[in-house]
Amino acid sequence: EDFRIGLITPPQHIWTKAAEAFGTELAEASGGAHSLTVFPASQLGNESEMLQQLQTGALDMAFMTVAEVSNRARDFGAFYAPYLANDIEHAGQILRSDTAKSLLEQLPAEVGVVGTGYGMAGLRQIVSRGDITSAADLAGLKLRITPFEPILDFYNAFGAAPTPMPLPEVYDALANGQVDAIDMDAELIWVLKYYEQADTIVQSDHMMFPMVGLVSGKVWADMSGDDRAMVGELMAKHVDSTIDSYIEKEQGWLDQIAETGKTYTKVDESFFGDAVDKWNAIWSEKSAALDGLREVAADTAN
Amino acid sequence: MTPLIFAFKLLIAVPVALVLALTAIWYIWESGNTVLYDSFAQKMFAGLENYGLLAIPLFMLTGEMMNEGGMTGRLINAARVFVGGFRGGLAYINLLANMFMAAIIGSATAQIAVMARAMTPEMEKEGYDKGFAAATTAAGGLLAPVIPPSMMFVIYGVLAQVPIGEMFLAGILPGLLLASSFAAVIALIGFIQGFPKGDWFTRKEAISALLACLPAALIPIAIIGGILFGIATPTESAAIASLIAFLVGWLIYGELKPRSLLEMFRRTAVNASMIVFMIAAANVFGWVIIYEALPQKLAALITTVTSDPFMFLLIVNVILLLVGMLIDGIAAVILITPILLPIAMNDYSISPYQFGVVMCLNLVLGLLTPPVGVGLYIASSMSGASPGRILRSLWPFLLAVAAILVLLSRFPAISTALI
Amino acid sequence: MLGRASANWARVEMALAAAMAAAITLLILLNVATRSLGVALFWVDELAIYAMAWMTFLGASAALHYGHAVAVTILTDVLPRTIRTGAAILADLIVLIFALFMIWFCWRWFSPLELARQGFDTKAFQAATFNFIYAEPTTTLGIKKAWVWSVMWFFALGATLHSLANLFDRSDRARGAP
Ligand code: NA
Ligand code: NA
Repeated sequence: EDFRIGLITPPQHIWTKAAEAFGTELAEASGGAHSLTVFPASQLGNESEMLQQLQTGALDMAFMTVAEVSNRARDFGAFYAPYLANDIEHAGQILRSDTAKSLLEQLPAEVGVVGTGYGMAGLRQIVSRGDITSAADLAGLKLRITPFEPILDFYNAFGAAPTPMPLPEVYDALANGQVDAIDMDAELIWVLKYYEQADTIVQSDHMMFPMVGLVSGKVWADMSGDDRAMVGELMAKHVDSTIDSYIEKEQGWLDQIAETGKTYTKVDESFFGDAVDKWNAIWSEKSAALDGLREVAADTAN
Repeated sequence: MTPLIFAFKLLIAVPVALVLALTAIWYIWESGNTVLYDSFAQKMFAGLENYGLLAIPLFMLTGEMMNEGGMTGRLINAARVFVGGFRGGLAYINLLANMFMAAIIGSATAQIAVMARAMTPEMEKEGYDKGFAAATTAAGGLLAPVIPPSMMFVIYGVLAQVPIGEMFLAGILPGLLLASSFAAVIALIGFIQGFPKGDWFTRKEAISALLACLPAALIPIAIIGGILFGIATPTESAAIASLIAFLVGWLIYGELKPRSLLEMFRRTAVNASMIVFMIAAANVFGWVIIYEALPQKLAALITTVTSDPFMFLLIVNVILLLVGMLIDGIAAVILITPILLPIAMNDYSISPYQFGVVMCLNLVLGLLTPPVGVGLYIASSMSGASPGRILRSLWPFLLAVAAILVLLSRFPAISTALI
Repeated sequence: MLGRASANWARVEMALAAAMAAAITLLILLNVATRSLGVALFWVDELAIYAMAWMTFLGASAALHYGHAVAVTILTDVLPRTIRTGAAILADLIVLIFALFMIWFCWRWFSPLELARQGFDTKAFQAATFNFIYAEPTTTLGIKKAWVWSVMWFFALGATLHSLANLFDRSDRARGAP
């Protein structure tokens, strides 16, 4: 069978490369019985559309941000607990835990998809036009975010004005001052040169940004037991490989950004005052998974 | 089979948007992927969930307000003070006004909507052929996505992972080149056919024309200022422009009544829904095409033909011209970039900036080529000249664009020199 | 009768579409105003986009009644009159087929019968059908997306009404009926 997999990332992106490697290995392992066509760069639609196509079975598979999934299965919002992970290796350990994996079990009933495993992108940082010495400086500022609930609650917690904005408009918006700051990962800050339009880069590492490998529930139901095992295992392996890629490359991007001569500050939880506590109070109600993930985080912290 | 049915439906005058949708329905049936029917209506809707598309109704409304409020007429009158006396003056005013607008507007369709409504009647009144007037305006609209700001370059920049600011720089020289080539085309047509000669204003007329247009100058100032000072996005600046146009037309010129707002919103809804619906249908059509991975198969074929970058770009240009006939502007960029850019960069070592400029200009050209040419149809509906009549005057401009495309393909420096 | 229903419904569609065009403008202006005042509203962009979608589908349906829709008439303009009428009837028929397809797509997508069978319990519905349409959220508005998508029903039904009316009108006229 020829499967289709969709992603929002461009062709050269780590996630897309992982999808291609997954396709190659799937073809080999099945002795050519299966193949995989990769549709990068939102060719089949944005994540919300792709998720709907997974639900109808029009699309077979996707590598998708957990943010999109958390809009439908709230428990997943727990991954975005501020400072759940101490650093990017730690984020990888949390994502590889059994507790994290067990969360995937609710996906078929809640969202109509099967989750095979986690991958990730870099930790979230803040890029600002003005000088920022504490989160209080961000209060009242327009700050671009990807729209999903956990991150909205976080920025609201210290009084920033979160502004949702699609990626294509971010560079100009920052350049012109339609937004004062953006929430972004190191890779894109470097590759899309957002630092050029900023005075201050705050390496806050405040959130992880997990990804999940998904198979359409309908397609999964039609697969043989052997195929399920093979697809599930191989996809999990390749989404997992992105964790290693980011652990390896994150520091390099950060170093390059730091060397651009812009003000570069590295901050920790205290920078955000009581915002982290506020977030935890809100989300211990919203997500049943938060406590479990906190335990894992404590156990794996070094 | 599918292309034949496609052509047949087009030729018996089934609405273009429905032809696209029906062809997608037919294609799904043929390929046996009937599961796509479950996502069909949703995908059609999703084609509209794009912030950038809001610029279309908003700039159309601006055009309505500027025209009804007597603003465009006064602006053109003022421009006449400077070049009105030359033979063919108004044709050049049209081009210059389009260049100026291109520095404000990022979308060709929006610019064509505003300018066609304003310029064509003026030119017609002075004795120009209606088709030529609409064609000049439609061609001028092509400057919008090449001269920064440009919605298309933004989208390409993200897909290609190149900085958008530098992508904008890459568009400046090609944009100027394009504008000069259009000026040459106008001069040539004037030389062959002869243009109506113009009259200079008397000093008194000139002063009153300039004074009358002063409030109208608020609009470009507000748009540029709004974007530069970070008050508004380009899309929002269209809404601000329509607000100012309304206030000036109502309070200063006294030609607009709040009562007439209703009719202007209605006309905006008619015109905008026509265009945006075509984009929705094109989206579902493109989705089916992509889903069947047709472009990938096509790309694999090209690499077996040539190893020369210039030859490759020429082939790409021909393919894009064909693509541009069926799929318009931004939708085509989204579909094509991920397929052709990796081949261009990896197999031919072509700069992503050069490739982006060539590809975007070519696909913008598609806005004016039938059967699916949104820009052409906007120019037609706004000017009242039939698409066929516009095409009769448009082809020299299209040839000029093709010549520029060859230049851009041959000399990468035109795109990369300013970066 | 059919013709009058089509005309009246098209008037309603255009009035709504015009209201949506006004809503788009006001929402975008609201966005500028609130952001300048530092009280940016999270949901305005999404609502403006949905207003545009409603404007578009209502307007596109009405366009079938008014004959506004963009079509290529290079060939039909030069055809002899009888053949032209035949082509027009065929084109109307094709539009009707499209409209019926849209109804069928909406029927499959919204599965109203199955939803009623499950007592309008969307959880039970999605367990039974694996159709998650009623679970889909909007990103910022906090309502279910199915409400927004419902415009596709208006579009499908409106297009069916208008194309039926066009078809009967035209074949009546072709037969020389009053
Ligand atoms: Na422009
Ligand atoms: Na075209």
